[in-house]
Amino acid sequence: MKAVGARLPRYDGIAHVTGRTQYVDDVRVHGTLWCKALRSPHHSALILSIDTTKARALPGVHAIVTHEDVPHNVYGHLEGLGVPADEPLLAEGDVRWKGQPIAAVAAESEEIAQAAVDAIEVRFEQREPILDIRTAADPDAGEHFHQWGAIYPHFGPHNHRRVRKGDVEAAFDAADVIVEGVYRPQAIEHCPLETQVSLVVPEPSGRLTIYSCTQAMYFSMGVVAAHLEWPLNKLKFVGGTVGGGFGGKVDTATETICALLAIQARRPVKWRFTREEEFLTSSTRAPWHIEIRDAVTKDGWILGRRMLTLHDAGGYARFSPYGLTKHAFHHTGAYTIPNLRFDGFVLFTNRVPTTAMRGFGVTSVSLATELHLSRVAEQLGMNPLELRLKNANRVGDTTGNRVVMHDPSTVVVTLAAADAAGYELGEDYRAMTSERRSGDLLPEHLVAQQAPDGEHLATYRATNGGAR
Amino acid sequence: MRLTVNGTEHEVVAPPLTTLLHVLREELFVTSPKAGCQQGGCGACTVLVDGEPRRACLIPLAAVEGAAIATVEGLGEADELSGVQAAFHEHYAAQCGFCTSGFVMAAQALVVRGDGAIEREEVIEALSGHLCRCTGYVKIVDAVTAAVRSEVTTGSPA
Repeated sequence: MKAVGARLPRYDGIAHVTGRTQYVDDVRVHGTLWCKALRSPHHSALILSIDTTKARALPGVHAIVTHEDVPHNVYGHLEGLGVPADEPLLAEGDVRWKGQPIAAVAAESEEIAQAAVDAIEVRFEQREPILDIRTAADPDAGEHFHQWGAIYPHFGPHNHRRVRKGDVEAAFDAADVIVEGVYRPQAIEHCPLETQVSLVVPEPSGRLTIYSCTQAMYFSMGVVAAHLEWPLNKLKFVGGTVGGGFGGKVDTATETICALLAIQARRPVKWRFTREEEFLTSSTRAPWHIEIRDAVTKDGWILGRRMLTLHDAGGYARFSPYGLTKHAFHHTGAYTIPNLRFDGFVLFTNRVPTTAMRGFGVTSVSLATELHLSRVAEQLGMNPLELRLKNANRVGDTTGNRVVMHDPSTVVVTLAAADAAGYELGEDYRAMTSERRSGDLLPEHLVAQQAPDGEHLATYRATNGGAR
Repeated sequence: MRLTVNGTEHEVVAPPLTTLLHVLREELFVTSPKAGCQQGGCGACTVLVDGEPRRACLIPLAAVEGAAIATVEGLGEADELSGVQAAFHEHYAAQCGFCTSGFVMAAQALVVRGDGAIEREEVIEALSGHLCRCTGYVKIVDAVTAAVRSEVTTGSPA
C-alpha cells in the first residue's frame, strides 16, 4: 500500500511534457505511402459496379483494394462470443451506412491518394434509408437488407435480451401509482484528439509490423489475422500509446485495410483519419430509446418495473449485443426492485455502426433510471435522495440477475453525496447503513428476494477464497 | 526557404502553401506539434513563431520565411525541464498527452511575456483555444498558473 495516497510521478509524464512520447503518427519509416478511402455517399444503396481503372493509372498510386482483395471479407467483432459474422471490411454488393468504406488507395502522398479515390467510379442505386430506431422494426418501416432484418436475433433462444424476475403483474396490481418515462440518450462521438491511425510495415521476414492506436491490442491482432487468414505469429503489433480512445479505439478501424495495401504495394502504408472522417465515419456511442414504467407505493417503495430498451446498432452488429447485455444487467440501477420484466432489442438502422464508449451500455441505463427515480420522487412529493436510500441495495438483496449483494455501496455513496452537497436528510435516512434488511426496511414485498441470512458471506468466500 | 527551428537553421524545399505543421512533422521530423484537426480548432499543433503562439496547421510555409520557430523539443530535456514542463509534470496536467505540446507552448508564451501577477481567469482565457478531450483542464490551468507565477522551480523532476 505504498502507492495509495502518495504523489508518484506518472510513468509517461516526462515524455509527455518534453514532446518525446511517440504516437503512431510520429513513427517515421522511410518510403511510407498514405492511405485514403472511398466511402459511401449514401445511407443505403445497392452497388452496381466499382471501376478502379482510372485511379490505378494515376502516377504515384501503388495499390488499390476492394472487397475482391480481402481473403476473408465478412467478419464479426464478437465471433469469439458466438455472435455470427455480418460486417464486410470493404462493402460488397451494397452499402448500409453513409461513410462505409468501399475501396482504399495507397499512394505517395495524401493528395495523390485522395485524387485516386476521387477517380474511382462507383454506380449506386439508392434505397430508402431507415434512421429512426423507434420505427425501425415497424412492418411499414421499409426493407432493412441486413441478413437478420430489423432485429439482431441471437440472444440464446430469443431475439432480444430478457430479464424476468418475480411477479410483475401482481406488483402493478398492488401499486398506488404507476410512473412512466421515456428517455432517449443520443449518439456521441468519442472525439479523441488523436484521430484513428495506423502504420503497417512489411518486414523482410514476410511478417507485418503494425503500429496501432488500438485500445485492445490482442483483439485488433485477431481481427487483422482473421481478415487476412494469416496466423497470429506473422503479425507484430506495436501500441499502447493512445492519444485518447474513450472506447472508440476498440473497433479495428484502419489496421486491416492498411495491411492489405502494404502487402499489395510492398511498402509501408499509413492511414490517419481526418477530423471530418473521425466525426462522420468512426463509430459512436449508440443512441437509445428507453421506456420505463414503475409500480410504486405512496410511501416510496418500488414494487416492480417494466422496461423496454431499443439499442441502435447502426448498419452492423459489432459490439452492440454485448453493450445491450450490460445495459440489461444494470436496469434496476443501484436499487432493489423485486419484480421485473425487461426487454431489450438491438435494432439495425442505416446509421454509422455504434460501439463501446466509457461505461459501455451502462451510462445510458444509468441516465434513464436515475432520471426516472427523480421523476418518481417528484410524482410522490418525496425527497429524491430519501427515495433512493429507501430502495437502495443492501446486504443480502438480489439483483435482477439474481446476484446476491455482499458489499453494496448505494447507501454509503448516497449519504456521502448528500453530505458533499449539503443536502438535508431526515434522521432515519441519515442513520441508514448497508446492513441486511430488517424491521421497517423489510416490507412484505422484499422478503422473498432476500438471500438466506449468511448466504452472501458463503457466496463471497466461495468466489474469493478467503475469510472476510 | 529558410527557417529556424529551436535554434537550428533549416533550408526547406517545399511548395509555398505547404503548412508549417507538415514541414515540421514530415520534412524536419519535429513531431511534438500534433495533427489533431488540421483546421485550427484544437490547438494541438501550437508552436511559437517569433515568440507568439500560432497554429502550425493554418500557417503556410511562405508566411514564416526567416522566422524563428520554437516547439516543445527546444524547451528542456528530461533531466532539465523548463518551468512550464516541470509545472505540467508536478500538477499531473498531462493525461493521454496528445494535446500537451500545444498547451505547453501556449503557456510558454505567457511565461515569456513575464506577467507574474497573472489571474487564473487570464490563464483560462489564454488557453481557451486548446482542447483536452481527457478533460483535465483544472490541472492544466493549475500548472500554467503556477508556471507563470514562477511557483515551480526548473530542473530535474523528483
